[in-house]
Amino acid sequence: MSKRIYALVSLLVLASMMLAACGSTPTEAPAASTEAPAATEAPAATEPAAAGAPEACSTDEFGCAVFKPGDVIKIGMGAPMTGDYAAFGIDISQGASIAIQDAGDVNGFKFELVAEDDGGSPEGGAAVANKFVTDPAIVAIAGHIFSGATNAAMPIYEKAGIPMMSPSATNPDLTKQSSKVFNRLVFTDADQGRFAAEYLFGKLTITKLAVIHDGSSYGQGLAQVTNDEFIKLGGEVVDFTAITPGESDYSATLADVASKQPQAIYFGGYNAEAAVIVNQMKQSGLDGVIFFGDDGTFGQDFLDRTAANSEGTYSTSLVPSASEAKAKFDAAYEAAYQTPAGKLSPYTWTAYDSAAALIATIKSVAILGDDGNLYIPRAALVAAVRSIKDYQGLSGMVTCLENGECASSGPTFYIAKDGVWVEAEK
Amino acid sequence: MATEEKVRKKKIGTYQVVQIILGVLFGGYLAWRLYEILIANPVYGPDTWLRFAIAGIILGSVYALVAIGYTLVYGILHMINFAHGDIMMIGAFGGYFVFEGLKSIPAPTAADPGLNFLNAYPVISVILAFVVGVSVAALSGYFLERIAYRPLRSAPRLVPLISAIGASIFLENAAMLMFGAQRRDFTNPTVLTRGDGWELPVGGGTVILTYTGVLTFVLSIVILVLLYLLVQRTRMGRAMRAVAENKNVAALMGINVDGIISRTFILSGALAGAAGVMWGIHLGLVYYFLGFIPGIKAFTAAVLGGIGNLPGAMLGGLFLGAVEALGPAVLGIDFQLKDVLAFGILILVLIFRPTGILGEVLSEEKV
Repeated sequence: MSKRIYALVSLLVLASMMLAACGSTPTEAPAASTEAPAATEAPAATEPAAAGAPEACSTDEFGCAVFKPGDVIKIGMGAPMTGDYAAFGIDISQGASIAIQDAGDVNGFKFELVAEDDGGSPEGGAAVANKFVTDPAIVAIAGHIFSGATNAAMPIYEKAGIPMMSPSATNPDLTKQSSKVFNRLVFTDADQGRFAAEYLFGKLTITKLAVIHDGSSYGQGLAQVTNDEFIKLGGEVVDFTAITPGESDYSATLADVASKQPQAIYFGGYNAEAAVIVNQMKQSGLDGVIFFGDDGTFGQDFLDRTAANSEGTYSTSLVPSASEAKAKFDAAYEAAYQTPAGKLSPYTWTAYDSAAALIATIKSVAILGDDGNLYIPRAALVAAVRSIKDYQGLSGMVTCLENGECASSGPTFYIAKDGVWVEAEK
Repeated sequence: MATEEKVRKKKIGTYQVVQIILGVLFGGYLAWRLYEILIANPVYGPDTWLRFAIAGIILGSVYALVAIGYTLVYGILHMINFAHGDIMMIGAFGGYFVFEGLKSIPAPTAADPGLNFLNAYPVISVILAFVVGVSVAALSGYFLERIAYRPLRSAPRLVPLISAIGASIFLENAAMLMFGAQRRDFTNPTVLTRGDGWELPVGGGTVILTYTGVLTFVLSIVILVLLYLLVQRTRMGRAMRAVAENKNVAALMGINVDGIISRTFILSGALAGAAGVMWGIHLGLVYYFLGFIPGIKAFTAAVLGGIGNLPGAMLGGLFLGAVEALGPAVLGIDFQLKDVLAFGILILVLIFRPTGILGEVLSEEKV
């Protein structure tokens, strides 16, 4: 009996939810339905070419987004704004907001950032994407943030002709799906490993490297790439070994590594284990061997834990090199949010760059019609984003490759000096 | 009746044959590996072997100290106190807060006006840390027994075991809520800086015998000897052994059984506390989950040596530490597999000698 009541109540709740969802969407497309995404039909964002529309609109595969005077050009962002990873979403949307402030306008049309909560999950990513494609004012997406959500959202934007520029989705597979719309401004783990191997071999002239990882998919993947790239460059990997994360004594493992006499150790993993390793290197016979960490080891925490032992260790980071533009951004960020840039997540700067690069591209393709409306041809924008070249961002030069990888400048390497991370020589 | 006995005899026979075959195979393999790694194809120099041995013995001495706590309680109550590792964590936090407190007390001298108490009087500081760490751990042990075990004294044997697991989870989470989930650094006095030590030139390399490691090892051995004397030579020790032998008879002889059990838990808590402070001083990390892995390892050590047997627990601890540090090197396997090796040996010992290395055959009643 109670089961029946339960079923009835849940049915009612479901029905009311559907009604509510329908009521809130102004367009005719069923936005709440995941079965038939709006994008499969004629993209809701497309309007028939009106009188005064430039010719580009009638030839464009996805038509034009039309802005009447006074409208704002919207840039969407799907990010986890609540829950465990809220700090990422909040930080990234704040970084992008600064880019909107700096963007000014195009022919009097202003920009706006619309950040929606996707919870970082694939379901959330698809839901947000379905919502965005029904809004004709959204022309580009600075996101999504997590790889899973991005993966789910990609096909939906693909059908609507909305370009994406993710500041943080690092899963290597994302750019292997020959998507036209997906681009990212963050280096992947594969890039990081390649740059690290090149730096170790080329800059530090290491020929005998030991690689240690913590067995996590992040750490091991990174270690494997570095290992392969280092061998490809002609170096010798004398030891490739794993540790069990969470322990506080690795001296036996390190003594084993020391017996292979490496010149440097590359570590794929996080700062807790990295700190233990660095503290035990001297007593394990690894005195004078360079420790080279990944972006999981970067941060003040590692330095606090290792004190004098960390002197001369290297680390990798998304934090871009110091520059005038970065200083200006950091000041603007702190003034706006009362917290230093980079404290909530390391993606603040790439977030700024993704939004800024999208805005610059939108400006370059936007056409002011004879009727005073602004027209943005969608397919042309998708192509223009993919062919961004030599755009000067905070995180370096941005040039998009054919597969959508735009973080051409790679990571920045840092070296510990007197208890602070300073940028290592390039 | 007679046929039944025959069947039983025959079964034991095949079991023993399997034991012997396995033993010979394992022994042969070990001998071959030793020959391979030491003579035929030496991978490591003597300096590396010495480093392995040092790492193993130091870790082993901490395991031994924790294992004794398990064995003491097992010997008397025949229950595994799974919260023992967490008592060790409490001891480590006690030592940590003493060092943090002393660090903030200024003790300026003419030579160094910025000096703090911790660095000005390192010996007193270390003693204080041990006193506080041992006291809070002993107190926790006492209350643990009063709250989690004594009400279940007459319950079936599984019940206190489950209660112990519950107490362990409670202590871990209480520590997490009180002290936070982050790992904290155990700040030592500068004379005891981790990684510093005597440098021994061995086989072309320099082996560092760390001060903290030597302190840990020496202190463990001293504590173990004192404990052995306490159990063997004092009135309280005799009472403990009597209770271990038979609670009812001991009570008839005028021994306060509850009192002795309480004292045993205080003693075992104190040992765990000392191990916790040593762990902090030597390895330098304190956090709420610190006691779990050493707890499991020490339990293994106690079983290896023969649970209920004091010298056995000590031997088991040192043996386990040595296996973890030297085993992967001897067998030529990845060092990440050291836990597999440690627990693999536990299984082997349980097959060949279920009572442990030094264990006696328990009477039916005790089991």
